[in-house]
This record gives sequence, structure tokens and C-alpha cells, in this order.
Amino acid sequence: MTSFLPTDEEKEFIHVAKDIAIDKIRPVAREVEKNQVVDAFLVGELDELGFLALETPENWEGIELPLITQVQILQALSYGDLGVIQGLPGLGDAATLFRLCPDHPLLATYKDDIIHSKKTVALLDLTGNATVTIENKNDGWLINGITQPVRLASFADYIVVLGRDLDGLPLVMWVEVAEQQNLKVEFGDYRLGLLASGLGKYEFENVYVAEELILASDEEALQLIEKIRPRVQLLQAAKEVGLMEAALDYATEYTAGRKAFGQEIAKFQGVSFRIADMAMETRIANHLVWQAALEVDEDKASAGGSVIRALYRAHRSVRYVTDSAVQLLGGHGYVQEYPVEKWMRDAQAQVSLYGREKELLIQRGEQLIGGGTIGVNVR
Amino acid sequence: MITYELTEQQKQIKELTHWFAENEIRPISLEADRLGKVPDEWLDKVNKMGIQLNTSSFGGDNANKKLAKKERQGNRLGVIATEEIAWGDPAIALSLPGAGLGGPPIQSSGTAEQKQRFLSIFTKDEPRWGAYALTEPEAGSDASAVQTTAQKVDGGYVLNGQKIFITNGGRASWVVVFATLDKSLGRAGQRAFVVEKGMKGFSCTKLVKKMGLRANETAELLFEDCFIPDENLLGGEELYQTAASKPSGFQVAMKTFDSTRPIVAAMAIGIARAAYEYSIDLVRKEYPKIGRLYTIAAELLAEAEQNIAAARYLTWEAAWKADIGVANAKEAAMSKAFAGQMALEVCVKCLEILGPIGLDGHLVEKLYRDVKVFDIFEGTNQIQHLVIARRQYAPYGVRV
Repeated sequence: MTSFLPTDEEKEFIHVAKDIAIDKIRPVAREVEKNQVVDAFLVGELDELGFLALETPENWEGIELPLITQVQILQALSYGDLGVIQGLPGLGDAATLFRLCPDHPLLATYKDDIIHSKKTVALLDLTGNATVTIENKNDGWLINGITQPVRLASFADYIVVLGRDLDGLPLVMWVEVAEQQNLKVEFGDYRLGLLASGLGKYEFENVYVAEELILASDEEALQLIEKIRPRVQLLQAAKEVGLMEAALDYATEYTAGRKAFGQEIAKFQGVSFRIADMAMETRIANHLVWQAALEVDEDKASAGGSVIRALYRAHRSVRYVTDSAVQLLGGHGYVQEYPVEKWMRDAQAQVSLYGREKELLIQRGEQLIGGGTIGVNVR
Repeated sequence: MITYELTEQQKQIKELTHWFAENEIRPISLEADRLGKVPDEWLDKVNKMGIQLNTSSFGGDNANKKLAKKERQGNRLGVIATEEIAWGDPAIALSLPGAGLGGPPIQSSGTAEQKQRFLSIFTKDEPRWGAYALTEPEAGSDASAVQTTAQKVDGGYVLNGQKIFITNGGRASWVVVFATLDKSLGRAGQRAFVVEKGMKGFSCTKLVKKMGLRANETAELLFEDCFIPDENLLGGEELYQTAASKPSGFQVAMKTFDSTRPIVAAMAIGIARAAYEYSIDLVRKEYPKIGRLYTIAAELLAEAEQNIAAARYLTWEAAWKADIGVANAKEAAMSKAFAGQMALEVCVKCLEILGPIGLDGHLVEKLYRDVKVFDIFEGTNQIQHLVIARRQYAPYGVRV
């Protein structure tokens, strides 16, 4: 029966995550941004609580939670600060690959290194990227070109590459950064937001990936990519909801206390109605993320479309809500003594990283007109 | 646990009501709009089938104590069914026999005797209606400014005043009417009465013509020295004595809104879905499969579908909260605010997809006319914003 009450286990997780978000994450957010790296102590603490391994399978010492539980926890953590959460090392977006292939023999050879040496893995999705080519050569593949900015690229030890070669063959590849002399990371000049998230562009110059480093190819790769992408997209959308909740609460509290013209500015409807709109948008994005998470958990045919819908709405809503927070704080919103200007920057950077809004919308519309309930196409 | 899945029972209700909407309501939709009324013989037929507009599962009264161990789901069933019926036609949905919007205040605040007397009349022998009369020419959104007076006299009260925009007000067997004992007391002076058709001094003075919802009756009611016996004071004297320090009459009115807003939101969702489904069907059949027009349609339809789903989830959440007995004023207002505005926007998008052809005999232009009022009645969009904001600021002790 339709219900919106988290389970007791979820409530426990959320409680712990929210506490740490407020007490540990938010207070260090500015410092993390300035240093462009998340403090190791905080990383250790979150790691110890299992918050770096929500998606990771149990045989990789993860918690392997259902997506509906993960999205709620990520919301709670991101309530502290999205910029910090996006800078956390570990399996990152690639955790889903491990989740879907927990016993893959190739990955198994790296298990000790990844788990015990706390290595970081970046996920590089090259589908639809015309600037990087993958060419079949001598029982292996050559990668050439410069990627778009990728989260965790600047400190990742391994890369999971999703893409197609020039013959159209879908591939999921494993790249060990230290072993590739022709692979460089262009650190770039990032100023907008998510400055601690290790953004970087990979420069591939005849980087050779041998056959034995192919995690999956052809139909198997296609299916894997179609399963990886929606999970990654949804987990990112959930983080955006957490940021929205933070911005909404902060702006509500600020406008409840700030006075102008002899009264709290909350009493002006230009202010309070904007807060109401922020609250609605936040709740809507929340619902769409939860609904999509449940569909993915249940492996429904409609899940891919629901994820696109949720991600699009989260993008749109997080821009609106964080912009509104800055607007309602006025000049204070624009300066760095208050967190909302950072949240607005982080939100826009997040939206830029994880899918163009119009493209998501049109893709969804085409699915609807086609009457299909397909997953995410790999182009 | 969190779930958006309908139970088997909920699915059955949805399928049943959809069947009815598709096969009984939709075929007469445009004709009823042209006639400006729902044909009497049709109303008689559906009443004999036991189809009624029942919004009185809301209200959180004691009637469901027997179900205490089992989770209530009347509110969720209500919004699920209402969406389907409104999908068929919203004006006809609002015209269905039953207690309508008058049901919730009786259910939530009426005495056992009043519930029995007023809610048991909706039988299959002939169609009957209930109504809810709050709005006045000088008191719309500001429901606390009601001008209709109730003067205490021996054995009852005498009502004087006027009510406007009353759904099914002319044909109703009884109307829940809000009046004030003493304007200087503000909200605390308000009382709710059940005024029965035929009572001396009570009349319907006009049926108004509207932009849309033309098949549904919207009445103006007049009370001229209208005597109401004590037993028709909603909740009886006891209700107001036990809550002497509270503005009970006003609370009855507001509690009703918390209950009926999700129902109204569900209707708006049904309208939006009807327009969306009509338009996507046309795009599939008649649009080119590539090119700019196709891309524009894809974008418009994706926005529409998403907003319909968003409104539905807000509405389900408001209904769920009511079912589990948790305060839902904020969620109810959210559902109504978002659904009302969203549904108009969806109809606009669908008219854009149809282009000029949409002006001539297509359902969507009718839905566009119908849907506008869903952003107005049962509390305007602005009032919903106020309700949401008040709840949002409540933890900080600021009343906006």
C-alpha cells in the first residue's frame, strides 16, 4: 500500500547520517573547499561508519544496501554539504560496477589493493563523447583523446571506462592509472563548485588496454552499462535532494530571524511564498527519486525512464532551490560568510557534471511517445 | 516502508473507476458541457449503480475505531478513485450524487445522530446531494471574515446572509453553512449549521454561468431570517463548549479543507492526465517522427508527464498522512497548490501540441476551461502557499 514511512533500519541510518552531516560535515565545508580535498580524519570517520560503501557489495566489505535506503542516506549526508560528499574517495560512482559484478575475476585480482589500501576508482562514461576514440588494435584497444571533466579523476588510482569502440562494440574497460605512461590528468581551472571533488580531464594518448583488462564487451557490456548508469544517476539525484533540504532549512531559519521594515522578513509574502515553492520543489524531487529507486530495486522495465525523470527534476529543482536560498538571504547570500552561495555554485557544478537537462527531458519525451519502457540507451 | 505501489484492492478500485469514467462519463462529457448540465436520467442511472462522490472518508473521526488495528486507507482510495473519475470529466465528477464537500465536516464534527440523519440519505432510490457553503461576496480567501449571521433564539438559530460559488448548492438536500454569532469575536464566533432544503427563509437565488465546469451546478444561496433548529448546529452545543477557548466553527471549516484539498488535487491530476493522454495519442498518430516539431512535442510531454506524477505523489502523501492520523495541512496544501497550477500548465502544453486544430471540438480546450478553477476553489493557490509557509515557519515561532 502506498506509504512514505522509512523502515526502522532506514530511520537509524538517516539519524546517524544527519547527525554527522550537521556536526562534522557542514562545519568543515569551507575548509574542504579551500583545500580542495576532504580531510583524512573525516574520510576515516565516514568510512568507519560504512558511508563510503553503501553501494559496495558485501564481499568487497561494503554494506550493499537497496537503492531506496541508499538514496535516503545520501540525502541525509548531503544535507551537510554536497561539496564534501562529492570529494569522498573510494569506489565513488564505480561502486555500482562492483555491485553488479562482485565476483568478476579481473576485479578480484585488485581486491586487496582496493580494499586495504583504500584506493579510489573513477567512472568514465565515454558514450556520446566524440572527443575520445576507442580503437580495436592487436588483441586490445587504443584510447585517444581528452575527456570532459570527471569527478575523482585527479586522485583516482583506477578508472572504469564505459564506451564503444570505433566498430560500435560496447565495452567496459579497466584502466590502472599508474601503469599507463600515456595517460595524464589535466587538473584544469575549476572555480564554480565541487572544488574538492577531484575534477580532472583524462588525456589519453595511445593508451593501450589489453584484452585481459576488458571487464565486459558486446551484449554483456551493453547490459552492464544500462544497469550502471541509472543507479549512478539516481544516487547523484539523491545527493541533490539533500542539498535542497539544506538550502530550504537554512533559508527558512534565516528569513524567520532576519528583520526589515520592523518585522521578520518571513512575514512578507514575497519571501514566505518563495519558501513554500522551495518546499514543494524539494518534496517533488524527493518523491521522484524515491519512486525511481524502488523501481530500480525491483528491476522494473520502466526504471530507466523513471531515473531520467528523477534526475532531470532534481537538476532543475536544485538549481531553483539553491538560487532561491541565495536570493532570500539577499547580499548575505552572495558572500562567503554564509553557506548558500557555495551551495548554489556546487549545485550548478553538479548539474553540469551529471547530464544536460534538455537532453534528459527530450530523451524521456521520446521514450514516452515511443510507448516504450526502456532503460537508458547507450549511444 | 516506502512504497508507491498500489495494493490489489487499490488497483481494483482504480480499474473499476476508470472503467466507469471511460465508458459512462467520457462519452457524455462534451455534450454535458454544451447542455450546461448533467442529464437527469444519467444521474438517476449512476445513482442506482451506487456511484457517488464521497469525500467523507477524510476527517479522522471516530467512525473507524474498529479499523484501528488495521491501517486505514480510505483517503488513499479516495484520491485514487477521484483521479480516475475526473479523468472522465471533472464537471460530471463534481455533479455525482453524494455528500460531496459537505461530507467531511459532518463526518469530522457532527454528532452521531447528525451523521446518521444527514449521511444516510444517500441511497439508491433517488440521487441526492450535500453541499458546503463558506464563501460569501465579501469573504472568499479570508474565511474568518464570514458575514452571514446566526442569532441564537429559543430552540435554534436564525440565519441571515448570502453564500456564493456553492457547488451543487441549488440541488442539495442539505448544506453545511458557516455563520457568525458575533462578528467581533472573529473566528471564535463562527458556527457551522446544516441547513436543509425547504427550510423557510433558505433559497437558491441564482445558478452562475462559468468559464468551464459548465455541466456542474454552481449556486448562490440566500438566508433570510432562516430558522435552524438546535439539532442542526453541527456538533451540537457540546462541541463548542468543550472547545470554548478555540475558534471551533472556523476550525471545522479549515479541517474540512485539510481533508478535501487532496481530493481536489486528485481531480486536477485527472484532468491533466486526460489532456496529456489525448495529446500524446495525437502525437503518436499524426506527428512527424523526426524534426523540430517532434522534439518540441517530446519536451512538452516529458514535462507534463513528470508534473502529473509529481502532483500525484504529493497527493498520495497527503492522503497517506490522513490515513495514519498525522496532521497533513502542509501536505494537503502542497498537493492542491501544485496540482492546481500544474494541471493548467499541462493543458496549455497540450493545446500547444494540438495547435489551432485544438480549438474545434477537441476535449483539451474544454479541460483547459474546466481546470482553471482548480487553482482557485477550495483555497486559491496563494492561500495554499500561505498554509505551507505557516507550517514551514512554525518551528521558528514566526506566524506569517
